[in-house]
Amino acid sequence: MELKVKDFETALKSLEDIVAQLEAGDLALDKALELFEEGVKISRFCNAKLEEAERKVETLIKTADGTVKEAPFSEDQSGGES
Amino acid sequence: MDLFEQRKVYTVFEITSEIKQTLDKLGVLWIQGEISNFKHHTSGHMYFSLKDDRAQIKAACFRNSNLYLKFRPEDGLEVIARGRISVYEPRGDYQIIVEYMEPKGLGSLQLAYEQLKEKLRKEGLFDDAHKVALPLLPHKIGIVTSPTGAAIRDMLRILKRRNASLHVLLYPAKVQGAGAAEEIAAGVRYFNTRKDIDVIIVGRGGGSIEDLWAFNEEVVARAIYRSEIPIISAVGHEVDFTIADFVADLRAPTPSAAAEMVSGARDELSATVVSLQGRLARAMRRGIERRRLELERLARSRAFSITPNMIRDFQQRFDEATLRMIQAVRKLTTETRHYREMLHTRLVKVDLRQIIGRRREIVARNWQHLISSVKARLQKEHSRLELAAGRLDALSPLAILQRGYAICKDERGAILRDAATVSPGDRVAVNLAKGGLDCRVEDVKT
Repeated sequence: MELKVKDFETALKSLEDIVAQLEAGDLALDKALELFEEGVKISRFCNAKLEEAERKVETLIKTADGTVKEAPFSEDQSGGES
Repeated sequence: MDLFEQRKVYTVFEITSEIKQTLDKLGVLWIQGEISNFKHHTSGHMYFSLKDDRAQIKAACFRNSNLYLKFRPEDGLEVIARGRISVYEPRGDYQIIVEYMEPKGLGSLQLAYEQLKEKLRKEGLFDDAHKVALPLLPHKIGIVTSPTGAAIRDMLRILKRRNASLHVLLYPAKVQGAGAAEEIAAGVRYFNTRKDIDVIIVGRGGGSIEDLWAFNEEVVARAIYRSEIPIISAVGHEVDFTIADFVADLRAPTPSAAAEMVSGARDELSATVVSLQGRLARAMRRGIERRRLELERLARSRAFSITPNMIRDFQQRFDEATLRMIQAVRKLTTETRHYREMLHTRLVKVDLRQIIGRRREIVARNWQHLISSVKARLQKEHSRLELAAGRLDALSPLAILQRGYAICKDERGAILRDAATVSPGDRVAVNLAKGGLDCRVEDVKT
């Protein structure tokens, strides 16, 4: 079963829907199992999304030819001007 | 003629130049007055008059000067203008060339702020309908601020403390002084050219209204308005409201608060996901448990539990019945045979003459009985007849005549019951018990 959702918001929303449907408890067993399986996948996806981004700080530098490039930003260098 | 020789005659140009020189000597001066007849020419120059209750003077503020005005001049506005008096020679007009002016009373920045705010509000730049929600879980945020300012330091400190797994991209921009607004706007536009930025934060730390001024500039407001990416405005302190704050999708009271906004949701979301996972598993377990119990209950129910027994019972009963049936059939066969044999034996043994004789006796006895009962019956009917005849006799009209009554009939033979039906002279017949009388009516008594 391919996960249809791609972004966190949609995933969270469908997970909520699935849980609500399962909690209502009036589903056929096959359907319930199917939803459960999808719910597990979506919750894994959500967790992955939560873990995904790495903490990184970069600054943009304008190069001589006018393009912009990214370089690591030292957090300690800031200060001075308020 | 002397008068004429002594007199100095100027040409128009000469006198105009003279006037111009005289006025030039006044140098730079300040004039207070009310703007009227204001026109902002397409060339960018401004033409207007300054007046008070007794006089007015023409004024011009050329493009290169009015570009730096912090407010928009308009009719009725009381201003203090700085400039030089100049003569426009082709027309002989004199006017003040305004280099700088500010509104009287309200600070010029304050006025400019109010004016721009009103203008943009009318244009709909602050409309809630235009504002978009921040993504629940931003991954990459673009920050437009000074790389050396307090704002970026505060934001990074918050993000670090919250252990937010965010990718921060800083667009270094001047946040005050000439060109700051342009740089800030360029930063917003730059992030919009990328596809990977979830949220933009524009901001700076606290300062005076002049320090924060770049965030009140129209160019920044328009760049924020046009941004496709949600923007948080985080300028100065809680009490500072800039135009950028009104246009942005979300206003953070401070840069630190903006950092909280983009990182704060993660913990909550994590908790939400964990909770949903729990509920998912519980719901499924409950669902299965419920079905298992239902199954058990059904299995225990009479409908199901009896079945095997019933089948056994039926089997047994069937077996018994079969056995009994076989036995019964066998017994019946035997009995029938015995009975037939017995009958046969008895039949063979029977004396027919004796049977006939006995039957004859019965017939004879019954015959006698029949005769006597018929006789008795006849006797009974006879006496009933006699009785009935006696009673009939008593009712007979003859018997009545016998008692002395007579029947009187008219000539047609109809019985007379009323004297009025006959008249004197009519003939009537009278029947007596024995014989009759033909009579003539003498008189009728009614």
